[in-house]
Amino acid sequence: MVKLTEYEQRMLNGEMGEFKQKALQFIVKYAEVLGAEELCRVSRATLFIGAQHYLDCFNNDDYDEIFSKFYLNSDKKIKIAEFDKECICQTCAAACDIKDHESVHLSKEFFEKNKRFLDITKEAGVSIVNSCTPYYVGWIPLMGEHFVTTESSNVVMSNSVFGARGNAGGIEASVCAAICGRTPLWGLHIKENRYGDVVFNIKCPSKTVYDWDIIGYTMGRMLPPHGKPIINEGFERPDIHKLRQCFSSLATTSGAEICHVVGITPEARTLEEALGGKEPLEVIEITQKDYDESVAMLCDEGSGDIDLVSVGCPHLSLEEIKDIAMYLKGKKVKENVELWIWTDYAIQAMADVNGYTDIIEKSGGKLLNSSCPVVMREESHRHSKAMVMNGAKQAHSIRSQTKAPVYFGDIYKCLDAAIKGRWEA
Amino acid sequence: MEKIIIKGRPAMGGIAEGEAVVCYDSIAGNSGAIGDTDGVIHEKGSANRGISLKNTILVIPYGKGSTGFSAHMKSAKFSGICPAGWVIKRMDSRLGAAVTSLGVPAVADFEEDDPMEVIKTGDWVKIDGNTGVVEITRN
Repeated sequence: MVKLTEYEQRMLNGEMGEFKQKALQFIVKYAEVLGAEELCRVSRATLFIGAQHYLDCFNNDDYDEIFSKFYLNSDKKIKIAEFDKECICQTCAAACDIKDHESVHLSKEFFEKNKRFLDITKEAGVSIVNSCTPYYVGWIPLMGEHFVTTESSNVVMSNSVFGARGNAGGIEASVCAAICGRTPLWGLHIKENRYGDVVFNIKCPSKTVYDWDIIGYTMGRMLPPHGKPIINEGFERPDIHKLRQCFSSLATTSGAEICHVVGITPEARTLEEALGGKEPLEVIEITQKDYDESVAMLCDEGSGDIDLVSVGCPHLSLEEIKDIAMYLKGKKVKENVELWIWTDYAIQAMADVNGYTDIIEKSGGKLLNSSCPVVMREESHRHSKAMVMNGAKQAHSIRSQTKAPVYFGDIYKCLDAAIKGRWEA
Repeated sequence: MEKIIIKGRPAMGGIAEGEAVVCYDSIAGNSGAIGDTDGVIHEKGSANRGISLKNTILVIPYGKGSTGFSAHMKSAKFSGICPAGWVIKRMDSRLGAAVTSLGVPAVADFEEDDPMEVIKTGDWVKIDGNTGVVEITRN
């Protein structure tokens, strides 16, 4: 039985409207399923909503009806009303660029449907931000703050780097939490559950964003179920972009929701602190051989002609876009090759002001916002005969959607492929 | 015909039965790994690639990958394809969200027997989400 406060009980009784009542019913049921005893207040949320492709199962456009059935588990149609006022809510990655649907081969009809859905939730309190790296534009939960996010790499980032508290959960659960402002007090919301228990020592390269992408992918492959990883020693000091990349691939090959990095993240000033004084369940080394095995899993063999290059999974920071612009300056993307570079529209606007967008466009590339090929699904990349991806998460996930060869490499190798129209092994 | 009984924590009420699909390495939640409209496992590298989840008892140790896991399962449910029930070795937030959203019976958190070792794909499994009893029949 989940213990509710008087306020929560009143909400469950319907005193704050049916919209909040249904959302809290979902959260109470979720708490029972998990085995939680009470709820906690959520003050930040990012939500993967809009006309996402998981809604393709509906053949109507009545968003109130879709929203009620899909997120609220309610057969009765309930009008979308206000999300929790004390929870800062914004959108996660979107199903389409905010301005440009033609470059990514999506229909005007779909673009407008996505916009209409996002406008409805915007009116209900969910700001349109469309970022899977929301910390670059100010969404930062502080130490001890309870959050929900539908971006798995952001679950790891927010728990590990900011010391905030949240579980991965799921999209419907996060939407309901943002509406009623509550989530089960369970898992990583409780300090005792946050200690690491699997120690990783790094014996492979850890210099670049690409290296950290592969380290995360490899750790995820080796992490036992429910393990909480600690990166202990043997690595070169990472910055936030390298951790972003590591957490993104870690949360692709595993269910990790937190990843301590000794000497870097706040609950891991020492290995002992990260372990909470306990002995680790396992100590694992990531070797050059493991690293090479991961690369082989992510990148198809050999060389070959390519026609689509996508860079920016997860969404890039301003400085990475600057580096890309400087690299592309004076160069040309090969004819009939598409080069897509992904960020959110706030950073895109900064890239515009700084002239980076102009340089990228002059080279023949596109600086795009809000989305990525995996989220846009097959319609955006079905035409491609061979593609190049930066981002292990993207390269891994796109394989479920395509039979075309997929090459994976660091940003500059991806840009070289776009210029040559060819992947060189 | 062999009959085995194991017991876990009742996580979602109701009684269900069906053929077991055992997913030793879980199923990624990333877009495309589970078909939104066909309920088929499409995840590259999965031992269960090509298997439909329709009317199965999904035996799974943990959740992994994108937090989209529950949403893709839900989408398949609205398209008419849904597992009959869940056997979850140990509950986590990804699986908890999916169990809540799908609303089909679930038994989780097995302390004595490991369902991943006891149950084989193809076994007929009956679960009682009110008592936590899981009955496995093997031909």
